[in-house]
Amino acid sequence: MIKFLIHLFTPQTSNNYRSKILHPKVLSVFIIFFFVSGFLMHYAKNNYPEVLGISSNISIEQLLVLTNQKRQENGFYPLKLNDNLYQAAVGKGNDMLSKNYWAHISPDGTTPWVFIKNAGYSYTYAGENLARGYSTSEDVVNAWMASSSHRDNMLSSKYQDVAFAVVSGNLTGEETVLVVEMFGSTKMAGEPSIAKQETAPKIAVISPTPFPALNQVFTPTPTIIPSLTPIPSPTPLETQLAKQVLIRNSNYQIQPIVNGATFTRDLTRSIASVFIFVLILDMLIIERKKILRFVGHNLDHVLFLVLILGVIFILMKGSVI
Amino acid sequence: MIEKFIKHFNYYISLLSIFALGLAAAVLVSPNFTLQIFIVTLTIVIYVVWGVLHHLLVHELTSKIMVEYILIGLLGLSMIFFIFMGAKV
Repeated sequence: MIKFLIHLFTPQTSNNYRSKILHPKVLSVFIIFFFVSGFLMHYAKNNYPEVLGISSNISIEQLLVLTNQKRQENGFYPLKLNDNLYQAAVGKGNDMLSKNYWAHISPDGTTPWVFIKNAGYSYTYAGENLARGYSTSEDVVNAWMASSSHRDNMLSSKYQDVAFAVVSGNLTGEETVLVVEMFGSTKMAGEPSIAKQETAPKIAVISPTPFPALNQVFTPTPTIIPSLTPIPSPTPLETQLAKQVLIRNSNYQIQPIVNGATFTRDLTRSIASVFIFVLILDMLIIERKKILRFVGHNLDHVLFLVLILGVIFILMKGSVI
Repeated sequence: MIEKFIKHFNYYISLLSIFALGLAAAVLVSPNFTLQIFIVTLTIVIYVVWGVLHHLLVHELTSKIMVEYILIGLLGLSMIFFIFMGAKV
């Protein structure tokens, strides 16, 4: 066994002074393995999502708790969930999916304020945070807190209400989970100090500009709705209350047996690391033994595989705007 | 290793620049996954061509070396493909 590992990972007479794992045949096996496994993973994901899928555990309840926790840690009062803002957030999330864009303003110029107004929320101040590609509520909130403009929104004294929408779908070629966070405050919400808070530390948010599209009729596109987050519509008081409870308890949970994202990431990272290790070892041994051979520069390949590790990191990273 | 780096300083600096540009471009277009994959594939192709060209101009280019660069490039590409199919689409 040890002999085989030495043959596989170090340059020896037995492998013609080139680690066996770096021989074209073995490299081809790895290449075929990754390509075939890619297709198999895709097939399994589409046909057996309960076995292999992208794990996601984002709950509105937890997003609210974490947001308010951050606010209270920084000396701000907690925000409360608002139905109308929720409707606006769901509308925005679905609009991004249906029109395939990832931005605060849609390609046709629709601003977040249009969704808020159309949802019946008459704001004095409003703001929006977006996140995609995260699998837990903690990751989402931490990513927002790590970005100064999003942090300013999270910790603004100008807001009294908040709403979260979690929607999933294919966006710019990627199957992903979007989180829309909308903040707002109204004039008649019993917060007389809100206007004064304009002088509070500056907020790097999309400022609620004078509503430009008041003359336009905008209908939020009714599209795919996340499994547990219905689009609220004008309802009687009883249903409104029931809906409030639903909003507070809504979450987006997918827990397949194998999480495709972490599995693919960890496997590729491990194999790339093994190759980097073997290439360095191979190079050091050959240099030490001063053996002449006609192969490519190992250092090139090491740098290349480090690049691949960097790309994997970037590809698997979520993003906030 | 360091000797080799110094000996082929210009080559390695150009290689590192190509990688840095590829990585920066992938970050810049994030989260447009399709564009990211295109940029990464392009960077891999440039890496293979640049490595082969270097051996052609500075060393002796053999078919074995050419195959090695192509296979290492394909290995990187297959890893990205695996992630793309398994985690993204």
